[in-house]
Amino acid sequence: MKSNISRRDFVKKSSWGAAASLTLPAFLQNTFFSLDARASTLPSLGGNGPITIIIEMGGGNDSLNTVIPFQNEIYLGARPNISLREEHGLLDLGQASNILGTTDTLALHPNMTNLHQLWQEGQMAIVNGVGYPNPNLSHFTSFDYLHTAMPNTNAIDGWVGRYFDSQCSGCDATQAIELARTQTRAFASSGGVSPSVTFSDPDSYGWKALETTGRDVPLEQLYRELVGLDHIVDDGIDLKNDALSYVQRSTHNAMISARTVHEANENGAELLVEDWPDTSLGRDLQRIARLIKGGMDTSIYYAHQNGYDTHNNQTSGDNPLSGKHFNLLGNFDQSVGALIQELKLAGVWDRVVIMTISEFGRKVIENGSSGTDHGAAESIFVMGGGVQGGQFYGDFPDLAEDARVKRDSLDFNVDFRTVYRSILQNWMGVPPESMADIFPLQPSNFSPLSFI
Amino acid sequence: MLTPVTQSQWTRRTADHLLQRAGFGGSPSTRETFYQLGLQQGIEAAVDSLVEPSENWDQHPWPEWSTEIDPNGELGPSTGERRYDIVRWYMNMLRNGQPLAGKILKFLVDHFAVNHDASRGEARFMNTLRFFDMLRKHAAGKEEGYGSFDTLLNHVSWSESMIWTLDMYESKANNINENFGRELLELFTLGVNGGYTEDDVGAAAEAFTGRKTYRHQSPVPDSYQWDPKYLAPEGMPRGAAYQNENQQDLLPKVMLGQSKTPGGSRITTGDDILAVIFADIECAKHLTWKLWRYFVSSNPDAVLIEDLATRFRDEHKYEIRPLLREIFLSQEFYDASVIGGQIKDAADSVITFFNALEFDLTPPRATYNLLEQLNYNPIYPPNISGWAEPESEGNEWMSSGALLFRINLPSVWIQQNRNVLNDSRSRDEIFAMPPVDFEKLAPPELRDLDNFPMLIAKLTDRFMPLVPLRKSQVRILYDQYKKSSQRIDDDEALKELLVLVLALPQNQMQ
Repeated sequence: MKSNISRRDFVKKSSWGAAASLTLPAFLQNTFFSLDARASTLPSLGGNGPITIIIEMGGGNDSLNTVIPFQNEIYLGARPNISLREEHGLLDLGQASNILGTTDTLALHPNMTNLHQLWQEGQMAIVNGVGYPNPNLSHFTSFDYLHTAMPNTNAIDGWVGRYFDSQCSGCDATQAIELARTQTRAFASSGGVSPSVTFSDPDSYGWKALETTGRDVPLEQLYRELVGLDHIVDDGIDLKNDALSYVQRSTHNAMISARTVHEANENGAELLVEDWPDTSLGRDLQRIARLIKGGMDTSIYYAHQNGYDTHNNQTSGDNPLSGKHFNLLGNFDQSVGALIQELKLAGVWDRVVIMTISEFGRKVIENGSSGTDHGAAESIFVMGGGVQGGQFYGDFPDLAEDARVKRDSLDFNVDFRTVYRSILQNWMGVPPESMADIFPLQPSNFSPLSFI
Repeated sequence: MLTPVTQSQWTRRTADHLLQRAGFGGSPSTRETFYQLGLQQGIEAAVDSLVEPSENWDQHPWPEWSTEIDPNGELGPSTGERRYDIVRWYMNMLRNGQPLAGKILKFLVDHFAVNHDASRGEARFMNTLRFFDMLRKHAAGKEEGYGSFDTLLNHVSWSESMIWTLDMYESKANNINENFGRELLELFTLGVNGGYTEDDVGAAAEAFTGRKTYRHQSPVPDSYQWDPKYLAPEGMPRGAAYQNENQQDLLPKVMLGQSKTPGGSRITTGDDILAVIFADIECAKHLTWKLWRYFVSSNPDAVLIEDLATRFRDEHKYEIRPLLREIFLSQEFYDASVIGGQIKDAADSVITFFNALEFDLTPPRATYNLLEQLNYNPIYPPNISGWAEPESEGNEWMSSGALLFRINLPSVWIQQNRNVLNDSRSRDEIFAMPPVDFEKLAPPELRDLDNFPMLIAKLTDRFMPLVPLRKSQVRILYDQYKKSSQRIDDDEALKELLVLVLALPQNQMQ
């Protein structure tokens, strides 16, 4: 499903903010007018636009043991203890082209049956060789690069933040929601405040002070006035871009969004899938499902599964069908499977695309601890009713080149920014001419991929 | 070079600022005593009272189960309760220890973020206690051999917690696990732009090979009995770290372009690697930069840091307190943009609040629970780089959820509000404590509407002395107080006022 709905609505949404910006600094027009006044006076999208859910596999997913070249002699030789082989019940994916111009036969990890079914239904694409030039093997730096989409720089704003800067000036605070304890840099705006919020549990997200009986104005209302939400003129409001102003803006965002989040969370509370995994990822994806079903206006959701830093005991003993990585992928598959099923039953799956990303893949050769050390390129998943799935994009790497080298790893051939662009342009309806604003630093091959 | 501060700059405001950054603020009387000290004996004496190594650790005994019942804890309380006890013990060191020792300890717990569950089984409790205990000795700087960053690194590299957190126990000669080698350079010493290469990561990993820990033998009668060869020999602590020489890589190495240590010997061991790193100015720069950001401001001048880093390495031999003394006696520390310009981190926010409220630290379970909801569990860092800085570039640390929790938190004490903490037993623990003394916060004679300016001044001076309210905010609060003081009894009006004031953005600043 291609859609330009969001673009039109974004423009419509923007008009109020655009007028206000003639007289007020950017963050004030965001906070005072567009976020709050507009939210209560303009009709909401009603939650009909396209949605992208990004799931981070934190720690560096070993994608060679996820999308597995099980017939590749180099793979088998480099991983005498932890390789997955034909006898482990691999899930067939067929032939994928590699950068040598030949093919590798690939299979999905046996603990990913839901994803495999999605692949067979043509609703999941796999992009091989995703990375960036001069890969950095630090978790934090590499994630910074993925979040800023400006690798090998010290940029501080993020690609989602710039997407909103460019397409959604004056949008309300819940254009993006992250289920996490600290907000991803991907949401950071290049100026003003990003229309995004981050929390770990919608149930505890809101003003909680006790209301004494018999008062005419609720305490919450007074508090909103105190922090400048409901009045514009002030004798001493701080326009500086300092830490106090930042806290003020964050307070505005939090207070404004709390009501809508609470409402949607209640509206979407009835679950249609019974066996949601009771894991951190399972609970977070369930929360996202409730918010989508509850009619949130949100276009980007961000969730995390951590623990992929499998330096040791990636497989347990000599049984690759157990151990850390086996459990991680199983949790991932069941949680994402439940989310998709819930969205299908609710009739909203066709509005959703799910993309996975990890800060890097892992080395071809196993280390001394039945684990793998940090590597570079990875294979990622893109899922959705509108995805051209059941096929590979990008080229599988040349393992020989890497296995010989002790401290280097997989070459990339699809820049992650091209994957982001493909989703923004072909799914979220962002016009090509806006890409220069969202991606100030562009890779050499930046043509959108056809997976969507 | 830093510009020395002058005596004439010692005011209540500068004194409050110093006490807040080198500690966790204090009650009005504590703050007044501190101010008078610098007024009467001089600003240097005030600074020295904070930076002189002094700590009475007897006030912070290890949890009872760790020593008296069973060092391994298996005969003691449940694992959950033991986790609460460890976190409460840590928070008590921050709240009731020497203020600067607490502040440095908090820095170190973040800088060397170890995961409590990285150690296996019952060993984890002892390992975490030992690790925090080692860090607090360095934070206090009192005992011989503690207080400088280079020896600290050596102790960290030999700590059971770190050996398990960063996989040293499985890194062998010819079959390395690079985890510790990489984070040693990236996080602990040089910083990510510190000029090292992937080969340096490998060399560092090779040098720290073969570090192991002995097994813990459970004292529970029916428990599995380890072969004595796996247990620590007589005289060594249970489960202690040791060097397995068969797995140690002792080949000569090249590190940061050097093939010799500063002492002129070949680079073979982990200590040799540390010697090369600590001689490198990039290491001093990274640590000085990080300390400056923690104690002063987020964007230090590069020239200033380089100069201070050189003194940190050459003059102070990496001793932390003398470096901080220089900083606390500089004009730069008292710059108008610095005072009140930092966002409190989670522990700052809780302990400063308890100090200002003159309220005791909460019991173990409640302490653990409220820190969790503030996104700060000291024994489970979010990742090995620790917690996001309160004021990192892009301010990504502040999730809307954690912020709303902070905004709501004071009402737990002010209103006995049950809706904030999500754990009922934690709430019960807090509500069983003696209630807040509202008479002390606001004497009855101040509660007349006519005295509102004095009342609001008294409250804001107690809780947020460094960042003033805006006039419009005072007006709104006055109107509110006027209405509610006519409608409900005085305590209720005061409580509503406090809930609103303590929820203001100004209260997040220090």
